[in-house]
Amino acid sequence: MQSDIELLTAILDQLIPANPDRAIPGAGQLGLASGLIEATEPTLASAIRALLSEVRAQPGEVSPRLVSRLEKDRPEDFRQLLSAVYMAYYSRPDMREKLGVGAHPVHPKGYPVDREPPELMKRLTAPVRARGPIYRDPTGGAA
Amino acid sequence: MSHEPVDVLIIGAGASGAAIAWSLLETRMRILCLEQGGHLPDRDFPSRREDYELARYAEFSCDPNVRRQPQDYPINSNDSCITPVNWNGVGGSTINFLGHWPRMRPSDFRTRTLDGVGEDWPLDYHTLAPFYDMNDANTGVSGLAGNPAYPEYKPPLPPIPIGKLGQTLAQGFNKLGWHWWPSDVAILSEDRDGRQKCVNAGTCDLGCAAGAKGGTNFTYWPILENAGVELRTRSRVREILVDQRTGLASGVLYHGADGQLHEQKAEMVVVACNGIGTPRLLLNSRSGLFPEGLANRSGMVGKNLMFHPLIGVTGVFDEPMLGHEGPMACSILSQEFYESDPSRGFVRGYGLHSGRSTTPMTYALGGYGIDDPIPWGAAHREIMDEIYPYLAGLTIVSEDLPEEENCVTLDPELTDSDGIPAPKITYRLGENTRRMLEHGEARASEVLRAAGARRILSKGDGKVWWRAGWHQMGTCRMGNDPERSVVNSWGRSHDVKNLFIVDGSIFVTAGAVNPTSTIQALALYVGDRIKTNIANLFD
Ligand SMILES: Cc1cc2nc3c(=O)[nH]c(=O)nc-3n(C[C@H](O)[C@H](O)[C@H](O)COP(=O)(O)OP(=O)(O)OC[C@H]3O[C@@H](n4cnc5c(N)ncnc54)[C@H](O)[C@@H]3O)c2cc1C
Ligand code: SF4
Repeated sequence: MQSDIELLTAILDQLIPANPDRAIPGAGQLGLASGLIEATEPTLASAIRALLSEVRAQPGEVSPRLVSRLEKDRPEDFRQLLSAVYMAYYSRPDMREKLGVGAHPVHPKGYPVDREPPELMKRLTAPVRARGPIYRDPTGGAA
Repeated sequence: MSHEPVDVLIIGAGASGAAIAWSLLETRMRILCLEQGGHLPDRDFPSRREDYELARYAEFSCDPNVRRQPQDYPINSNDSCITPVNWNGVGGSTINFLGHWPRMRPSDFRTRTLDGVGEDWPLDYHTLAPFYDMNDANTGVSGLAGNPAYPEYKPPLPPIPIGKLGQTLAQGFNKLGWHWWPSDVAILSEDRDGRQKCVNAGTCDLGCAAGAKGGTNFTYWPILENAGVELRTRSRVREILVDQRTGLASGVLYHGADGQLHEQKAEMVVVACNGIGTPRLLLNSRSGLFPEGLANRSGMVGKNLMFHPLIGVTGVFDEPMLGHEGPMACSILSQEFYESDPSRGFVRGYGLHSGRSTTPMTYALGGYGIDDPIPWGAAHREIMDEIYPYLAGLTIVSEDLPEEENCVTLDPELTDSDGIPAPKITYRLGENTRRMLEHGEARASEVLRAAGARRILSKGDGKVWWRAGWHQMGTCRMGNDPERSVVNSWGRSHDVKNLFIVDGSIFVTAGAVNPTSTIQALALYVGDRIKTNIANLFD
């Protein structure tokens, strides 16, 4: 019989699957199951227990179909798990980097972003300025 | 700690409390501020941690019902489609606010005259303009002068970058001939007064450890504390006391850091607890003279609650939009649909705000202010790899109209940790707002397409963002008529002559812009009036 960790790992790999072309691991491959199994937050812990026993009661391997059924039959528990998996996965700086958004450097570091040259801003805003004021001013001066 | 009487007692150390304290500094009156939260040193901001995003769903959530820290009070929002969000501590909600800084426009102060809805304000844009300028200078506001949506003014600092996302959307607006402009932001584009310019990390709601964001923890409070203003933290005001003989406020009862209930006497009381906390405190301050709550002879305390209901539309582009590089708030703002046009089927208007992207976790969980995780499985992989990096979005930020049924009352059962009754929100979306949001959704899709989006993602279910109760206005509104308003044209209670209110609760209407620049300009204006009228202040 599969251990809880093995079973949860298989479910997690269905929730966030890998993208081998870009060397992005699935949530199970990333080893998130052990942390989730040890979750102490009572609602999450009981949701995971309930989902695992539901899976054990089903015949066959963990598959997208089986996970869809879990979502339908135990929507609240499923949502708890899904949110927890998204949190655990995307709080990893190494995963953020793989998504092409950089590691999201933390303060006091950040991203170098150049201010647009004044000529570019002038050119971009030219049509807006050319149309003139667009506000109503009932109390002071016409616009 | 001394409980000697003070000249000015300010309740709340957020945006408005700090601004009025600064204005009153020159009077040399003894000023004390009581704040229920603590000082949060910037080394403790989650924006310094690698797992910073987790804090957004726990101790640094903008939602006090999620955060549940000892300084927070719960809010019953079961009868509302929007829940109020805030921060309780030195800096108030400017600790986690995003720093988008548009002013209200001249027509916002005259909605009854111009459009037959709401009420006119007892002051106008031009009266406030010098106070907007003063506050912009104190805060360090970046922006581009010459916006044709406003009478002329010049932000003190050059604009922050609008980035690839802003430039792309700007071209879409230009194609359609619609207004847009780089957003004014209370974020430094240059180093200033020991504060670092924005480093574009995009973690603005988790405390800005760079000090670039103009929270009052970085702007006003260091000056105020140096100048001798006493800031007493972990001090939660339970009730404002009234001398039953004179009808004047005599001070407050508050729960101190030592867990004890204290009395603090004052010559003048200024309430700055925000649009939810202020009516809550007044309704909790009942006495023989004010059985329905302090300063509530009009019955307007807690009524006319306004938010800025909002929805979002997103476009998927061919190239990465780099929306994660830069502050979360607004890159550019379109006010093309801000003024009334009866042919649209609603009055007043809205802004189209181009917020930058949220971080991957928040996007996966449904977006900022929304609890609706994106799909799992193969669809998840596709969304995160093929869509997320290519997104640029617009939020439709609508003007809410004042309606008395939308209100803050006291919950009969719920209390905070000191046993003080908690606020209950009753709020539904008005029909005018609903139509406005529908209109905005269609226009946002149009401009995203014009900007080159290959696909539009719009929920189209008409549901406004749940945690979008960032802006809380109208619940103690100002006016000349004591029967229809709580404070007069300079923030003084009609009923209690030494009681002032300076936060967003005194707004008469909401405009369709983020309110904090106006809240602070108003607080500075009230301070100025107090100084001008000092000789006969309580007459
Ligand atoms: C996540 C988020 C994003 C936002 N983004 C923007 C933005 O981009 N632009 C913008 O203009 N606005 C934004 N806002 C709104 C902005 O933060 C508020 O408009 C502004 O802070 C309100 O100022 P205030 O003084 O009325 O109240 P606050 O700044 O909220 O301060 C009120 C203070 O009073 C204290 N208090 C309350 N009751 C008591 C009591 N009984 N005893 C003692 N102390 C008490 C509180 O602890 C708090 O510190 C945002 C808000 C949030 C939460
Ligand atoms: S992006 Fe800029 S304003 Fe936002 S938290 Fe970082 S430094 Fe501060």
